[in-house]
Amino acid sequence: MNTAFMLIMIFLPIVFGAVLPAFGKKHKLRNGFVTAVLAIELALAIYFAVCGGFSMKLWSFTDQISIGFANDGPARFFSLLFAAVWLPVGIYGFVYMKHEGWETRFYSFYMMVEGALIGMACSSNLVSMYIFFEVVTLTSLPMVLHSLKKEAINASLKYLFYSIAGAFMALLGILFLSRYCTTLDFAPGGTLDFAAMAGKEKLLLAIIFIGVMGFGVKAGMYPLHGWLPTAHPVAPSPASAVLSGIITKSGVIGIFRIIYYIVGAQFLRGTWVQYTWLILAMLTIVMGSAMAYREKVFKKRLAYSTVSQVSYVLLGIFMLTGAGVVGSLLHVVFHAAAKVGLFLVAGTVIFATGRTKVEELRGAFKEVPLLGWCFTFVALALIGIPPLSGFVSKWYLATAALSSGLGVICWIAPVVLLVSALLTAGYLLPITVRGFFPGADYAPEKRAPRLKDVHGGAVLGVMHVVFAALSVALGVFSGSLVTVFSNIANTLF
Amino acid sequence: MPWKLVLGVCILLPVVMGFVMYACKNKIEPRINRWACVTVFIEAALVWWAVLCCPGDTYTLFSLTEGITLVLRFDGLGRFFAGLIATLWPLTTIYAFGYMAHQPRKGMFYAFFVMSFGVTAGVAMAGNLLTMYVFYELLTLSTLPLVMHEMDTKAVRAGRIYLVMCVGGAAFGFAAMVFFQTTGCSLEFILGGNLSEFTAGKHVTVFMFILGFFGFGVKTAVFPLYFWLISASVAPTPVTALLHAVAVVKAGAFGVIRLIYYVCGTQLLSGTWGQYVVLAAALVTMLFGSSMAVKETHFKRRVAYCTVSNLSYILMGAAMMSPVGMAAAIMHILCHAVSKILAFFCVGAVLETTHLQYIADMEGMGRKMPVTFATYTVAALSLTGIPPLCGFFSKWNLLTAMVEAGNAAGLIAAAVLIICAFLSAIYMLSVMVRAFFMPGKNTGAGIIEADKRMLVPMVIIAVGVILIGIFASDFMTLANNIATGLI
Repeated sequence: MNTAFMLIMIFLPIVFGAVLPAFGKKHKLRNGFVTAVLAIELALAIYFAVCGGFSMKLWSFTDQISIGFANDGPARFFSLLFAAVWLPVGIYGFVYMKHEGWETRFYSFYMMVEGALIGMACSSNLVSMYIFFEVVTLTSLPMVLHSLKKEAINASLKYLFYSIAGAFMALLGILFLSRYCTTLDFAPGGTLDFAAMAGKEKLLLAIIFIGVMGFGVKAGMYPLHGWLPTAHPVAPSPASAVLSGIITKSGVIGIFRIIYYIVGAQFLRGTWVQYTWLILAMLTIVMGSAMAYREKVFKKRLAYSTVSQVSYVLLGIFMLTGAGVVGSLLHVVFHAAAKVGLFLVAGTVIFATGRTKVEELRGAFKEVPLLGWCFTFVALALIGIPPLSGFVSKWYLATAALSSGLGVICWIAPVVLLVSALLTAGYLLPITVRGFFPGADYAPEKRAPRLKDVHGGAVLGVMHVVFAALSVALGVFSGSLVTVFSNIANTLF
Repeated sequence: MPWKLVLGVCILLPVVMGFVMYACKNKIEPRINRWACVTVFIEAALVWWAVLCCPGDTYTLFSLTEGITLVLRFDGLGRFFAGLIATLWPLTTIYAFGYMAHQPRKGMFYAFFVMSFGVTAGVAMAGNLLTMYVFYELLTLSTLPLVMHEMDTKAVRAGRIYLVMCVGGAAFGFAAMVFFQTTGCSLEFILGGNLSEFTAGKHVTVFMFILGFFGFGVKTAVFPLYFWLISASVAPTPVTALLHAVAVVKAGAFGVIRLIYYVCGTQLLSGTWGQYVVLAAALVTMLFGSSMAVKETHFKRRVAYCTVSNLSYILMGAAMMSPVGMAAAIMHILCHAVSKILAFFCVGAVLETTHLQYIADMEGMGRKMPVTFATYTVAALSLTGIPPLCGFFSKWNLLTAMVEAGNAAGLIAAAVLIICAFLSAIYMLSVMVRAFFMPGKNTGAGIIEADKRMLVPMVIIAVGVILIGIFASDFMTLANNIATGLI
């Protein structure tokens, strides 16, 4: 029974995404169908989150290479997160995508990406996860391409080449690990075969470094982050939202699984590899925030913000402590809610007024206060103002750093977090301020239409409220999340 | 069962039929398809029968003098190669019916097309190096008219380069062969090799081995002897697809594997400078071919450069001089053969239907020729090495062989392979993006999907690429059994 449900959860959106063009011009029917599939996904994800653990093997290509699924802690958490974000963003898209056109193609791939992501989250071995990782790249590509303009095509090729390069780096890592691990199946604490690798530790460390950097491409980690600020903004806003909020997390899953479920924290602790990762993550945090601060185009600013924020998650993972893991998993959730919320705001602004630059947002919130309030709450959550969500994860990350025993990094990491938080405030809050208080000389040629005057504006409004409320509520009620993540973290050490 | 007769017929039937078709090409030109079809299918059935049922005995055709004999023997590697060509040749024939429908000089084309089937079967069935060498030369000669089919200046020039390089290369192979024969190393194909000691001195022997490697390596387009392959891409696409992705070039790879594993043997060679020279040649070719493919803007030539690069994956596997390396090389022969023939078929389908040659012209074609470009996508993903298509598994095996070697050379080779895989993503997948997502310049009507006779083999092979991936373990077991001598 669970086997069937698991296969349905992973392959239903992939198969139905492929047959979606059959709906032709029946748009209402198609939208209903998409909603139904996304809702079924969410229901199944909830089911797996509460049901007992199980694992299955779908197909063995060879002795080492097989596709298998399990619902262990991270699998439950990530698949629930993906399904929970996919449904509201999908509904938002029904309205938004009308002005972009080609909705059927968009939803085809939108659904396929969900299936591939959930497949990646639920994979029970490294090769299976790698296969779905590649599928995520290939199926998310058309979402970046969507407008078919020259810049979109160039951006998508950049995205493709960076991702494939990352994937091959990861493949090199996987290959060596398959030689030096007892099994490629995930096991908390790692499966390194210490007898087989005796004398090869240095080589293996270097290879693991390369493999993790490969997955890091998807997470926008310096120095291979270059595709992210190019590719995310050119996609339609709902796609940018999931690309930034969710698909970057596929890289996080890869890194998390390799470090904690294949290699094991013990082997990496205190090595040059760990320090290099930490330094790169901190560099990315500051660099992303600084670039976001300088950026003039709204969506691009948000994309740079993603570069910075996802590296918070990586920083926590690279600390190799329980508190670090809890902090980073918390930040996965909070960043997903906040970043999707922000991109949807950017989307609504584009949808209603066609404005794309930050300075054009002057006065916009005065005209559409709901948008302004939602933006402000989400922004405050991302900056980390207590008691909103970002505060909790950053608190955990900072305390984890202080207690990590990593020498000078104990102190640098909290400082980096603080500087980045200031920069985050610097690139988000002026938008709020100028949006609500454009100044006395503000005399727009054309007022932005109110949301209720926009066709489908109610749906857009509801989705903004949903993500703003999530950003607030997840912070206030973060206690239960911390318990769940602590349980995951406790198995790893 | 007189198997000697069956093997003889396998080789002679297409050759004789080819001569007959050539002789009365004017008379039978309207019915030439039927002639070619019947011959190829009978031949394929015969070869498959021999592959499955023939015992591994040695059949002496005739001896020239003492020690110089032409013998046929079907061992694991030969069976594998024969099975591969006997599967792909009929499919290519069907494709050729569609492709050649509007081309002139069909009689001559099919005559030599059929003839080279028999010669390639001879390469597969050869029982010693001399026999293989004979068929090797015959293969060059019988495919020459196919390369020159267009008969314009470019084609004639390509033919001349092809002839000079392959015959010249074979001369190196000949020198090596004579050397091995006279220094007491038997030319028999025996897994593990015949070279038990360096009777003529280590460095001389290694040098002659390298000579032989480059001699047989000409056909696998090893750097710097690659450019015949690029210029020969002017040939009609069924020829390029079959001969320059499967038969001729794989005969070269087959020859190199024979030389390394069956004549010289790996015991003495592995660890000598000969191994490193061979490995370095393969790695340089891989990087060179991939880089040129990225640079190339002509669709067919890009795929041809991809072939140059991929053939050296096989050589790299072979150069590891270990059973794992050999198994990986064999697996890549299979996976590259099916993926690349499919890629060439797609290129040809576009070329013949629309006469568009350059990659920039492919923009928007994906929507006009959906089946063609869907199959192209399968081929491209497989050649890039995206799981679960078959190309992924052969790359995995090659990389495993590198890791197993465990030395610096293995690591460098693994790194080069990864870089080449990335480059292949660039040059193969960017065409796919252009075809499906770029607004086309050729908005005019009149561009339609390719002829059904081309599409059917393409779809069959695309399904094959997927199935070989899904059932990869069976094929890997087969390759391992060949490499360890169980078959």
